[in-house]
Amino acid sequence: MVDFSMPPKERRLLASILDQLVPGSRERNIPGAGEIGVADYLAHVAARRPGFEAALRRLLARASGLADGIDADAIRQLEQTMPIEFAELLSETYKGYYSRPDMRAKVGVGAHPVHPSGYEVAQESAEFMDSLIEPVRARGPFYRDPGVAGGD
Amino acid sequence: MASDPVDVLIVGAGASGAAIAWSLLETRMRILCLEQGDHLSDRDFPSRRDDYELARYSEFSCDPNVRNLKQDYPINSEDSCITPVNWNGVGGSTINFLGHWPRMKPSDFRTRSLDGVGEDWPLDYHTLAPFYDMNDANIGVSGLGGNPAYPGYTPPLPPIPIGKLGQTLAMGFNRLGWHWWPSDVAILSRDHDGRQRCVNAGTCDLGCAAGAKGGTNFTYWPLLENAGVELRTNARVREILVDGNTGLAKGVLYHESDGRVHEQKAEMVIMACNGVGTPRMLLHSTSSLFPDGLANRSGLVGKNLMFHPLTGVAGVFDELMKGHEGPMACSILSQEFYESDPSRGFVRGYGLHSGRSTTPMTYALGGFGIDNPIPWGTAHREIMDNVYPYLAGLTVVTEDLPEEHNCVTLDPELTDDDGIPAPRISYRLSENTRAMLKHGEDRAKEALLAAGARRILPNDSDKVWWRAGWHQMGTCRMGNDPESSVVDGWGRSHDVKNLFIVDGSIFVTSGAVNPTATIQALALYIGDRIKANIANLFD
Repeated sequence: MVDFSMPPKERRLLASILDQLVPGSRERNIPGAGEIGVADYLAHVAARRPGFEAALRRLLARASGLADGIDADAIRQLEQTMPIEFAELLSETYKGYYSRPDMRAKVGVGAHPVHPSGYEVAQESAEFMDSLIEPVRARGPFYRDPGVAGGD
Repeated sequence: MASDPVDVLIVGAGASGAAIAWSLLETRMRILCLEQGDHLSDRDFPSRRDDYELARYSEFSCDPNVRNLKQDYPINSEDSCITPVNWNGVGGSTINFLGHWPRMKPSDFRTRSLDGVGEDWPLDYHTLAPFYDMNDANIGVSGLGGNPAYPGYTPPLPPIPIGKLGQTLAMGFNRLGWHWWPSDVAILSRDHDGRQRCVNAGTCDLGCAAGAKGGTNFTYWPLLENAGVELRTNARVREILVDGNTGLAKGVLYHESDGRVHEQKAEMVIMACNGVGTPRMLLHSTSSLFPDGLANRSGLVGKNLMFHPLTGVAGVFDELMKGHEGPMACSILSQEFYESDPSRGFVRGYGLHSGRSTTPMTYALGGFGIDNPIPWGTAHREIMDNVYPYLAGLTVVTEDLPEEHNCVTLDPELTDDDGIPAPRISYRLSENTRAMLKHGEDRAKEALLAAGARRILPNDSDKVWWRAGWHQMGTCRMGNDPESSVVDGWGRSHDVKNLFIVDGSIFVTSGAVNPTATIQALALYIGDRIKANIANLFD
């Protein structure tokens, strides 16, 4: 399978769109989607899904004609004028960005595959659970049981 | 091509097919199970990969129309607000279900008598209770005994940790004086029976590589295959055959993976394909004796489809909730609003489930079961940095009442790869359900605020979750009257005496709880009745 081919100029354009979709945070040392190369992920998807490839090409063609360059207003324009293509790009961008273990870690989720190690979650002590459920127990049974004499 | 006849032919190797095979094992009858999918090794589960979340949107999607694997059949859901989800393979949907394991309650079996809606079941909670217990032991269910919302029982294993998120919400429920309880789960809190305890991976829908989740791929099937039950995989049943003289089922036609058709003869056929697959197969099995579909003299095969419509409410807290750590669907469950209360403006009720948060990609794409991405741009950064990690939510899971217009039929054009008509789903929400969902949303907001949420996220859609069709019930319902039900009180077709159904399609009403505990308890109960009546089974 050959990846979706993109000249450097187009790749830079796509990266700037991606940085608008998922911007980074300098304060928290989080890079944007263009900066970390989500364009490569999109090229892989485009090479495997002709429908997405066509949508991406249409979006890039429109974006390259935007006179003032790529900023939030330009992205809003793309969203309004090409809603179907834009929705596809947005979904795939989120997939490309958050399938990166390093980006997952930036929002507090483990970078590792979740098996086999998973996460440590402490088991509540019996004393703690007893105190937590005490008000519920104190109410007594509150279900309806037509199968028992005296039930509803 | 025909194979040697068997005594018992089970169609489907999921929750109910495995349970009935286990029940019938002691009869020493020759048991064969045909499964359209294959075994799936835990080594192949996506949760072992770095990019595990991507699988949720491709080959491991819960939606067969997205997966589009060879063993899947398409489902036409254009006329429905909910689409059915499943897994086709050994283990069935217990491969990708979330393992939440609440039982139905005594009132669920008597909705007509108590509340004037639905129908009463031909059996009651107390008849089923020993089979719940038996199945819980086989599966390895974790939970806390003494829940005042049920007649007394104690799960065999202690509860899984409810975690920071569960503790926080529990305190909110306590402040309001509302019921809650640690969820019963088909997930091991301790190593058990050669299986590893839960590692809190938080991706139960992507296959549990630890084997902690009680899918029948880990529980019943290894035991059954060792004991000599034949499990024939990549075998897709095309139709059930009927003897024109006796009117009894005589076997099935099925496709192997290369498409070739085989005939398998059997003394008894047991359907275990759940609430969409089973009516699809019966409707496709027409003959001069059954021109409208097998076992369908009542006209009710495929009718009365019930799901559990869902909606969710999320609150933002000041502390990290770590909602991605721990089993996805299971922390605590409130049944404060489960039983009918006429003052609420609807009949029957719902549960408030504290599912944990999902992983970042799924959250960004709209959440589990919804395609509605969160905003892009600076709003995206703000949400992922300052909202997502601090979220806790409640899911409103409502009872769905049986209505004949909600149904499974055969699509006139769409087929699977073998040319078998695809199921077509016609389904809409009732006003009763809408009222329940609205009430549930308002109560969920109250509970989250009582638990300390600083704000509630706006829900700008009145739609229910699209991929909420896990629980498929009612389409071949049980009953004593052949005019108003498809199978009798122990799962036997009124019309075909050697045809049994053991899956969710035989539910009379849906309750407002995840159905798998009840599906398997029912399968064990039906197995018990078959054994008790073995001498004159087909009279």
